[in-house]
Amino acid sequence: MKKHYAFLVDSEKCIGCFTCAMACRNYYHQVEGVIWRQVYPLDEAIYPHRERAFFSLACNHCENPACLNVCPVVAYTKREEDGVVVHHQEKCIGCGNCIRSCPYGAPVYNPVEKRAEKCSFCHERLDASLLPACVQSCPTGALTLVDLATLEPGNEVQFPAGFPKAEKVNPSTRFIMPKVPTLVRR
Amino acid sequence: MQSMELPLVLFTVLSQAAVGMVLMSAVRGFACHDGSDARNEWMLVAGLMGLGIAASLFHLGHPLEAYRALAHLEKAWLSREVLAAGIFLALAAWAAAMGGGKGALLWGAIVAGLATVLASGMTYAPPAFPALNNALPTVFFLITAVVMGAGFASWFAGIGSQPLLARIFTTALVTGLVVRLAVPCIWLSGSEIMRQSGLAWLGSPLYWVSIAVMAACLGVLWKNRTIPVWLPILALLGELAGRAAFFAETVHTALNIGSPY
Repeated sequence: MKKHYAFLVDSEKCIGCFTCAMACRNYYHQVEGVIWRQVYPLDEAIYPHRERAFFSLACNHCENPACLNVCPVVAYTKREEDGVVVHHQEKCIGCGNCIRSCPYGAPVYNPVEKRAEKCSFCHERLDASLLPACVQSCPTGALTLVDLATLEPGNEVQFPAGFPKAEKVNPSTRFIMPKVPTLVRR
Repeated sequence: MQSMELPLVLFTVLSQAAVGMVLMSAVRGFACHDGSDARNEWMLVAGLMGLGIAASLFHLGHPLEAYRALAHLEKAWLSREVLAAGIFLALAAWAAAMGGGKGALLWGAIVAGLATVLASGMTYAPPAFPALNNALPTVFFLITAVVMGAGFASWFAGIGSQPLLARIFTTALVTGLVVRLAVPCIWLSGSEIMRQSGLAWLGSPLYWVSIAVMAACLGVLWKNRTIPVWLPILALLGELAGRAAFFAETVHTALNIGSPY
């Protein structure tokens, strides 16, 4: 398998602090209402405990991206060297087809530019051997950068409950599920 | 509820009406009682498709760059839809200029029209909408094409073709009514997102307006046995309401992240 960068979301470590989302915002200064990374609390039907658990999600840089396949102006490309899906905003005509088609809601509409945009995996930082802004900022190490080609099989899952199971697009993000919290009784 | 996507509602319904009119022109030709007002009929076909394409431009952030939408024909159904609709419009305008379309021109328009409907069906069946990620959009669009095609064709067809068009209009309306009533009910027993889509459709006034209009059209046909001049306009309003519900009420998978699917 070729090198394919992915986000590894460890929900056991995530405390839902939104630092990753804020770091993304601080780095790219998206216009109001445009969010590339979002932190989703898990519903009690999935994690039925008093303690909460979270998924920090942005673009999943899929192996077979819906955005890339449906874009009529070829505004999306997938980098050969690391699998990062890049949106070239200057090519976008704002048709919204990628926004409608991505099962994970990664591309969003920028009402000022009148074009779509999405998480770029900070590919310019990757090229400079730096970590993506969200990964670097995570205070608990819950969000990490992994290469799917070299990731040793462990307890990572691709489609946990609460994450759309779109097998055709094959999202690269992997998850470590939260454990049952320890109950301390007096 | 998501955006109603009014430009896309207009584009899809008007383009399918234009395609349906060409299909009905061929059916009348086979039945050997062709229409008597071919030039005006083809002018309406070209006008509907032209209006639909013009409306679709308002959906774009940058309408002046719309021509670039042809750049991804090898993969993107939207590019194929734009190409097929463009070819159909050119053929329809040519037929209108020639005073009517027959032979290769008619068959070319039929192929381009059906390609437009198929490409639209595939464009609006993305993986993000599990309820529509199948053949349903194409089925909905074909029904619209036949209903609107038969309705508008009745304005131009000779007396001999009127009973045939009324039968096609009735059959398409009954089929559309059954499909539209059954589909959201079937979704209720599907996955969580399909269930939410079914509930959203069944709770939508737009959806029930489209159902009521289809039923009313059937009532008028049952009483009149022919298509009154005003009935295609009523049917068009019903189709527009139904299409608005299609875009606004179908639930996107991303809306439920963090909850069970």
